[in-house]
Amino acid sequence: MLNKTFNKKHWSSYLLQAAVFLVMVFVADLLVGSILKYFYKRQSSGWEYATRYSMEETKADVLVFGASRAQQQYIPTYIEDSLQLTCYNVGRDGTPFFYHYAMLQAVLKRYTPKMIILDCEYAALKKSSTSYERLSPLLPLYEDHPEIQPIVQLRSPFEKYKFISHIYPYNSMMFKIAIANLESNKKDKEDIKGYVPMTGSLHEPLKTIDISVAYQLDPIKINMFRKFVDECLQRKIELYIVCPPYYMNTVGTDTSFALCRTIAAEKNIRFIDYSKDSLFLKSPQLFDDTVHVNFNGAKIFSQKIAGELKRSRN
Amino acid sequence: MVFNSIEFVIFFVVTLVLYYLIPGKYRWLWILLASTFFYGYAKPSYLPVPVGIALFAYFAGIQIERAGYEKKTRQYFIISVAAIIGLLVFFKYTNFFTESTTGFVNFVKAKIFHSGNSISNNLLINIAAPLGISYITFQAIGYLIEIKRGSHPAEKHFGHFASYLLFFPKIIAGPVERAHHFLPQLKEPHPFNYELFTAGAKQVLWGLFKKIVIADRIAIYVNAVFNNHEHHSGITLIVASIFYVFQIYADFSGYTDMALGFAKMLGFDLMPNFNRPLLAKSVTEFWRKWHMSLSTWFGEYFYTPIAIEKREWGNLGVIYASFVTFTVLGFWHGANWTFIVFGALQGFILSIEIFTRRERKDMRKRIPKWLNDGGGILFTFGYFTLSSIFFRADTVTDAMQIIKKILSFSGPLYTESTSIILFLLLAVFYLTAYEFKEEFFEKKFSLSNNRYWLVRNSYYCVLIVILLETAVFDGGEFIYFQF
Repeated sequence: MLNKTFNKKHWSSYLLQAAVFLVMVFVADLLVGSILKYFYKRQSSGWEYATRYSMEETKADVLVFGASRAQQQYIPTYIEDSLQLTCYNVGRDGTPFFYHYAMLQAVLKRYTPKMIILDCEYAALKKSSTSYERLSPLLPLYEDHPEIQPIVQLRSPFEKYKFISHIYPYNSMMFKIAIANLESNKKDKEDIKGYVPMTGSLHEPLKTIDISVAYQLDPIKINMFRKFVDECLQRKIELYIVCPPYYMNTVGTDTSFALCRTIAAEKNIRFIDYSKDSLFLKSPQLFDDTVHVNFNGAKIFSQKIAGELKRSRN
Repeated sequence: MVFNSIEFVIFFVVTLVLYYLIPGKYRWLWILLASTFFYGYAKPSYLPVPVGIALFAYFAGIQIERAGYEKKTRQYFIISVAAIIGLLVFFKYTNFFTESTTGFVNFVKAKIFHSGNSISNNLLINIAAPLGISYITFQAIGYLIEIKRGSHPAEKHFGHFASYLLFFPKIIAGPVERAHHFLPQLKEPHPFNYELFTAGAKQVLWGLFKKIVIADRIAIYVNAVFNNHEHHSGITLIVASIFYVFQIYADFSGYTDMALGFAKMLGFDLMPNFNRPLLAKSVTEFWRKWHMSLSTWFGEYFYTPIAIEKREWGNLGVIYASFVTFTVLGFWHGANWTFIVFGALQGFILSIEIFTRRERKDMRKRIPKWLNDGGGILFTFGYFTLSSIFFRADTVTDAMQIIKKILSFSGPLYTESTSIILFLLLAVFYLTAYEFKEEFFEKKFSLSNNRYWLVRNSYYCVLIVILLETAVFDGGEFIYFQF
């Protein structure tokens, strides 16, 4: 039983205070959220800008999809020169396959590109809880893009309720947004049509890695991979699945890699595999680390893939 | 179900509403049901462990009290405590003892008998320790000690006793509550108290802030460095080690604030666990301010009996008691040599502080207070930072490698991105600003307890806005859940 000394007058007073406090929180949230949204949309450089531009503005003929190995290895200008088509790299570091599928949905809502290069990497379809957390770059675009909402909601069963807050979509982006609004950042961290160059250089001998280690596949990722391929085929988009070079002597077969190859074969999609390219295996100086080529490596790789695509089209 | 999850918010709101709708004399039953659900939610198969401990300790307590004469009381007591410790050892330390023994035998065989035949660890068990087992067992043991000493009667109401051991805000990571403090509260009706309720809610908010804005933010940098320590420079490791102290403090004190806050909202008072330990002027003072419910538990039930037994040794007896107590306290944290070294390091420095007590007192008279206090705070913080490397590292070898690199004091500082570093500095700023304000300017001004409603609530409003923007919503569990 509630305390008898707690009379009606007390209750109404406390409920009123609680209501005023909630209004204060709501107004503060709306105000700060609106400011963050304004500056998010005003960005002219940085990764958040590239994500928004990819989703809302690019009309390039050729799009490159993938995570860090896409973002840091395919130089669009080389592909443009070779194919005489416009190209933009919509890849983003640290993103899982859900992100690529969400990006495709947003792009297809606006236009149909002529060609898509889908980057394929080892363990791309591996089940991992962090994959879902890594959909966070899409949060600021959730409200304006209903087509990506079911994918973002994979983050948690309560995800859609979190958007009651206007600040939540911009969580942990305050400094990124501020920096990306600075003109100096645009000069310092220039990207080349979505491509981000890596500047390091590897100086280590080639290691042998067993990639046949068993892991659990994510059925949602597999399903999205299939849908990605099917939607490209339906729209008559030229789709190429490409695996760029690694600086490692791999033994065995990666489960995700094998599955992507099988699906590509089933759907009659060209699968281009540079994972064991002899030139790159002999050249550690072309790598930033064992899985990412540096700017020099990206130039060579982009020329190679551009030439391959040109030959394939002819 | 962690405190900083939406599942817990739903659970707590339902528990809270029904709790205040139920008549006062039955509320313990609702607490017991809610606590059982809370514990069993993650892994129902673990539920028999705390329930079994509660049943055993309940009957053991009654038997100890009824034993009549001292010898029998002692027998019941020893058997009961040994059984509870046995359970803790089985779940938490079996693999450690097995691995350490086989490792030692293999070492002796290889070095002394030059034998290449090593024995394998076939006796390793594949069972994870049930959550909170260290806390549950220590509370049960403390309860039995109190009964044996005659300072607390055995609880005759099993429901009350089980509610004491399983009370959900504290079951996973404490505080290590004492029976004489908590059991009487279960017999009270706990009418709704607005002041207590709002004080609890504010404490929960600040605890949540410490966990997801400060601790989880710092964890991003600390984990990136410590998980790949071999690739990082000495400078980076120093910085990460300092940040780790802030992380573990914000994480554990954040958890405790939330536990105390939730308990307050239900009308209960739990023991405090922290009293601004990072501003302690000596390691002795630090342990009076850090994890207070555990350190006082060890003080009352472990250190004092040893110190009394060895009193004829004089100072050496005190040092012996400190060293043994802190080594065991370190080992309590986990089945790893790193925790034993961590505890031993605390015991070592406390021994030195005991030995040099008089000299330090004389020195305090000769130097300005600010210098003495500042130097004491820096030394204590530095020493705890150093010993925490053992607390954080996976093995003693890893910890030694980290310290060796730190002593080289060289290399570039790892900064992944400007944004991450700015958030990290902001997190440390929040914590230090709050601690300094509470320590040195507590009575000068207060935003959280300001006499004006608008100022007070604007402060909490700003806290929520900062939380929504800067919190890490997909951060990990509380560090102390593993103990």
